[in-house]
Amino acid sequence: MEKKYWQSFGELNNSEAFQKSSKDEFKEDLPFDEDKGLLEAKTPRRDFLKYLGFSTAAAAVAASCEVPVKKAIPFANRPEEIIPGVANYYATTYVQDGDAVSVVAKVRDGRPIKIEGNELCPITSGGTSARVQASVLDLYDGARLRFPANYTSSVKGKELTFDAADKAINEALATAGNIVLLTSTINSPSSLEVINQFLAKYPGSKQVTYDAVSYSGILLANEACYNKRAIPTYRFDAAKVIVSLGADFLATWISPIEFAKQYSKGKKINDASPEMSKHIHFESVASLTGSNADERFLHRPSETYAIAVGLLSVLQGGEVSNIKDTKLIAGIKNAAKALADKKGEALVVCGSNDVNTQIIINTINEILLAKDKTIDWSSTYNVRKGVDADFAALVEEMNTGTVGALIVIDANPVYSWLDKAKLKSGLDKVKLKISLSGKADETTQLCGYVVPSHHYLESWGDAEVKVGHYSFIQPTIYPLFKTRQWQDSLMKWSAATTDYLAFLKSFWATKLTGTNSWDKALQDGVVMNSPLAVATTFNSSATNLALAAVQNPSSGIELQLYQKIAIGAGQGTANPWLQEMPDPITRATWDNYLIVSPTMAKTLLKIDLSNNGQSDSYEVNPPKKVVSIKANGITVELPALIIPGTHPDTVGIALGYGRDKKVGKTVVDVEGNSIGANAFPFAKIVNGTVCFDINNVELKLTDKKYPVALTQTHNLYDTPHGKRTEVIKELTLAEYKHNTKVVLEEREKELAAYGGVADFREGGSIYKPFDKPGIKWGMSIDLNSCNGCGACVVACNAENNIPVVGKPEVLRFHDMHWLRIDRYYSGDKENPDVVFQPMLCQHCDNAPCENVCPVAATNHSSEGLNQMTYNRCIGTRYCANNCPYKVRRFNWADYTGSDSFQNNQDELNNAVHYMNDDLTRMVLNPDVTVRSRGVIEKCSFCVQRLQEGKLKAKVASRPLKDEDVHVACAQACPSDSIIFGNVNNPESEISKARKDSNRLFYSLEFLHVMPNINYLAKVRNKEEATKA
Amino acid sequence: MSLKYESQLREPLVYGNKTYHQVTEDIVRPIEAKPTKLWYIGFFISVSLLMFGVYSVYREVVYGVGEWNLNKTVGWGWDITNFVWWVGIGHAGTLISAILLLFRQGWRTGVNRAAEAMTIFAVMCAGQFPVFHMGRVWMAFFVFPYPNTRGPLWVNFNSPLLWDVFAISTYFTVSLLFWYSGLLPDFATVRDRAKTKLRKLLYGIASFGWTGSTKHWQRHESLSLVLAGLSTPLVLSVHTIVSFDFATSVIPGWHTTIFPPYFVAGAIFSGFAMVQSLMVVIRKVFGLKDYITIGHIEAMNKVIVLTGSIVGIAYLTELFMGWYSQSKYEGYTFWYSRANLFSPYGWSYWGMMACNVLSPQIFWSRKMRRNVFVTFFMSVLVNVGMWFERFVIIVTSIYRDYLPSSWSVYYSPSIWEIGFYLGTFGLFFTCFFLFAKYFPTIAIAEIKYVLKTTGESYKDKMEGIENENVEDFAHKHAH
Repeated sequence: MEKKYWQSFGELNNSEAFQKSSKDEFKEDLPFDEDKGLLEAKTPRRDFLKYLGFSTAAAAVAASCEVPVKKAIPFANRPEEIIPGVANYYATTYVQDGDAVSVVAKVRDGRPIKIEGNELCPITSGGTSARVQASVLDLYDGARLRFPANYTSSVKGKELTFDAADKAINEALATAGNIVLLTSTINSPSSLEVINQFLAKYPGSKQVTYDAVSYSGILLANEACYNKRAIPTYRFDAAKVIVSLGADFLATWISPIEFAKQYSKGKKINDASPEMSKHIHFESVASLTGSNADERFLHRPSETYAIAVGLLSVLQGGEVSNIKDTKLIAGIKNAAKALADKKGEALVVCGSNDVNTQIIINTINEILLAKDKTIDWSSTYNVRKGVDADFAALVEEMNTGTVGALIVIDANPVYSWLDKAKLKSGLDKVKLKISLSGKADETTQLCGYVVPSHHYLESWGDAEVKVGHYSFIQPTIYPLFKTRQWQDSLMKWSAATTDYLAFLKSFWATKLTGTNSWDKALQDGVVMNSPLAVATTFNSSATNLALAAVQNPSSGIELQLYQKIAIGAGQGTANPWLQEMPDPITRATWDNYLIVSPTMAKTLLKIDLSNNGQSDSYEVNPPKKVVSIKANGITVELPALIIPGTHPDTVGIALGYGRDKKVGKTVVDVEGNSIGANAFPFAKIVNGTVCFDINNVELKLTDKKYPVALTQTHNLYDTPHGKRTEVIKELTLAEYKHNTKVVLEEREKELAAYGGVADFREGGSIYKPFDKPGIKWGMSIDLNSCNGCGACVVACNAENNIPVVGKPEVLRFHDMHWLRIDRYYSGDKENPDVVFQPMLCQHCDNAPCENVCPVAATNHSSEGLNQMTYNRCIGTRYCANNCPYKVRRFNWADYTGSDSFQNNQDELNNAVHYMNDDLTRMVLNPDVTVRSRGVIEKCSFCVQRLQEGKLKAKVASRPLKDEDVHVACAQACPSDSIIFGNVNNPESEISKARKDSNRLFYSLEFLHVMPNINYLAKVRNKEEATKA
Repeated sequence: MSLKYESQLREPLVYGNKTYHQVTEDIVRPIEAKPTKLWYIGFFISVSLLMFGVYSVYREVVYGVGEWNLNKTVGWGWDITNFVWWVGIGHAGTLISAILLLFRQGWRTGVNRAAEAMTIFAVMCAGQFPVFHMGRVWMAFFVFPYPNTRGPLWVNFNSPLLWDVFAISTYFTVSLLFWYSGLLPDFATVRDRAKTKLRKLLYGIASFGWTGSTKHWQRHESLSLVLAGLSTPLVLSVHTIVSFDFATSVIPGWHTTIFPPYFVAGAIFSGFAMVQSLMVVIRKVFGLKDYITIGHIEAMNKVIVLTGSIVGIAYLTELFMGWYSQSKYEGYTFWYSRANLFSPYGWSYWGMMACNVLSPQIFWSRKMRRNVFVTFFMSVLVNVGMWFERFVIIVTSIYRDYLPSSWSVYYSPSIWEIGFYLGTFGLFFTCFFLFAKYFPTIAIAEIKYVLKTTGESYKDKMEGIENENVEDFAHKHAH
């Protein structure tokens, strides 16, 4: 007889109660009763009618309230450190893919709303970049993952609790076999320790570092030459001669904020010491750094190796070989001569990812005695540690099926790896894939478990940007979503008993000395250990090997993939501020395009820019011709922009576009298609490293056109009717040395008809100028040190609640930026000189906008501000028409949702919509009015900050000092090009800057509008004078 | 006036052997008869256009000025172009009524009523643009200097836009009064002939109790003279002030001292052309060829060729100054943005030149001046040209001013911008059709006034007298 297993006596005896209960699926009465008659139901008919009546009445009452009531609930018990309306500042660290920048987060009423640089940080000294400035908006990104989820279950993306996720993942990891931690570069010492503990828990597991754009070439070259796989500190400030082979060190290369700061020091020049660094740049596609160079030479990407060899050869007394272009040969010789003259004060850098090229560059730097002078090995960078070969090996491993589990932290190879098909097939063979990223990026989408991590503003942590330079991360807001920082997740899975915060504290307890040292470190945000002298010896045998591996230039059309300053390798694609920030070089927003040279445009696009009609029609019509680009078996179609400063046989495409729709709302256009094309698949592995220069490219003009949203369509200040030298002034160092007053003399000439510079203010008008007692605000912008990076543009966006209007509106020239960076070309049409001019409201003392407003909505303050009264403005736009600088912006539509008209945003594009959701609006600065439709707005000189500064001085009963006021643009600038202050105070920085420089000029001075912003002329360190 | 003697060599101002009664019959007939099918069709089209305009404006008010294609550089486009264009058109009426009245130009009587109506309607149309081009039109009352609780906060008396507010509202008020006071005796005529009670009531109210007593006539005459005196400087001032919108600015192409006379001449030019367009149609449709004679048409064509040549000289002066000033900014605006046919807006400049300067020269020929078809075609062409002129001044100046970084993408209007313009055509013609139906389109009283001295029948009668020898005449008349 079969044995009977029973759970209860009821079951054993098959009692009545058991029979009943076994039939009932639900043990308790269910709250609904549709199968009973209506009257027996818990809600009988009469009650139903009552409920119906009540709910209708309630709905009617509720609906008849015109405006939804939004409650602001005051604190019942106010936390001690929070005073409503007063901002708190917390030192923390911006981290993204290995980049780490010490910052200070401004927190208003519990919300971080603005990022400033941390002035205590010796690396950046308070400088920031556009991406750092914009990172606060990423915190409020609606596309962030909001909870841990399981994609392996039948319900895809089912929400899990952290406990459930930990349980499932722990179980899965226990049996997974070889575990690989795939991370982007991690520069946090405590996190590395967390990873080590995790790896110790699971024998056979390992960490693989993957960088989308790696510095494998430099790392491996340094390993070969100095036996160290590391990147040394470059000292651009110590270099009198800088030669760069395609290294975009002011925009994207290694540590751009630091380099911009250093570089600007060499560009600060005054009448007393008219000396500045000389920067010679070799490049293929116009870059920000190349555009700032004193001399730029264009070459094919495939010639990089030959140029490096040529430079070395000339330095050693030899000749340039393997290069045909005579201009380029002259440039190499010229550069070699300049370098040789300044041994010990010279620096050569190279953006190539080729090991041999980098070895040759190392050799050149050795010859130039750069070590310990312009190259500092005592502190090496931790920003990019990945080596391409490691990841390539991992892809192979995954394909063989030996990887049991993959935990992805921040890395996103599915988007940025060149061989996507192979990577995906490898990933398919990995059973357990876990993503700890905060966004549903391309790689995360393929993972089984997703345990999203915090944004850095919600996190604890530390970062070691360079060896010995520590920076701390502290949360500035309670996590917005159900996220957990990845260190905590890893600790949970390695059976740690504490959480990451406790671990972090104990990690630092031993390293920080003194009482309150932890609190002090958090408060300052940075801790620095004195650098250790490191002896490095150069291994010259590597040079011989590198010289033996000759690379011959190709002859066809070549393609170079580059990173935009705002978008990078895709880090900025999801950020509306960065998407709308005009690229400094192309001045385009929201898009990916093909960069071609004017020469190529003639043959490829049939557009001759030297023909006025053709160039006009190219410039004034946004739709640009689409070109199909074929290389490496991949074909991509992109609109072509003609950008001088690009080699005639080279085209360029930016990385970072063609993203998956889930990454964010900004990566799709109005129709919902992904913007641009992913250019990573064009890349190939050459000699073990990823190479972004591609030979044998086929270009074909299609008959399609595609609109590109440019914010500036015209580039030359030369017209057939004269060179517009009143707008900007530039001169060569030779001219300046010869006569430091050359700018002043030019101004004298321009103003001669009105009595010359001295008498212009009074003599230029029949009216006497007003007295300006007390404070008079002024700004000085040094065009020589400004490199056009755009950090100020995004800082201004964040500080002043400037609306994002999206591509369709930018296409209609409706961009709203208060501060823009105008880019002008001069000289050679193929390879022009470039000047960047930050242009914002000039706060004219004799403002043409003020007298034309019929309702006096814009007027002059007693402190010299040209101020806008939004609620008086009726929107005639007369002021904008009459502004010679065209800095006034009109609210063409209800961009901010602050209008009294209901539902009038229906026809606006997505960018406007998602900047107006409740989450994103948390980034708004409560000190600045959100402008409604139909009014003009423009730069206010951050009047809210001026008021705050004045109050600070008043409370302290002392006169206002320079430190009391920082305008957002000046504060963000990494190259200290903007000085702001009270010009009536002879001790202020601005007064000194104006007094000291003969390079001072006012844009369009002859109009007698009397701007309160002055510029300092751009000086180029060129041998020959451009004019006699 | 009764002492006036006009040589019979001059063409009569009224054709046909009209009696006073006939004049009344001819002019009042359209008011008393049922409207024709043509009228209904025209009226329907006008109202449709008006409705489209109302919808276009609705969109602009609700969704913002972004419904138009203006941009950060081109802050004014079709809106202010159309404003200046309509204001210009609104110049002829007052010029004809006031200045020609003061100059005792008898020929004005045939056209002054319709021309004044046209002025009023054109100024109404013009007024729409500065109002609705505002970003916050519901705050438009801020432009009036009224006592308020905001400080009090006053308007900016330095702003030419504010001057516009006063200039145009004054001009509109005076023109309306002038027009209406002229209508009083004619309304009384219609009232007296009325066969229905309603008509009697309405025209009775409209005629303000006019009985035609000598006292009435005397006061009417004085009022006309006073209003004419008031209007005369206004004809010159309105467009002068409109031109200040541009002339007082700092933008190359706007900042031009010749604007005031140049704008006034242009305004008279376009106003007369518009009067021509309308008169040619009215005299045909309502059979008023005897009152609006070919002589009227010729007289107005003479004014057109004169003012057209004045604006032509203004254009050439601007070009000359663009070169002579040696200002690179002026030079670029005048010689590249405008005079270069191959620059993006070169077509508008040469369109203007062709329509305004070259084509009116045809009127040096008497034959052409007296040709109705040529006149109509030319009058349309002139107004197209004058539209181009305003477009050239506004858009080609600001789309490329000082900083090349801000030079604009190609500006062309959106459907709602065009819709607004069409809407003002709708408004204009709706008003005009109603006017033509319900108002005496020709000043009956004034025609009767000149009939005695310059009517054809009178002249015929005089012919005999003129041919008589003096003694016979003395003999006949001396009793």
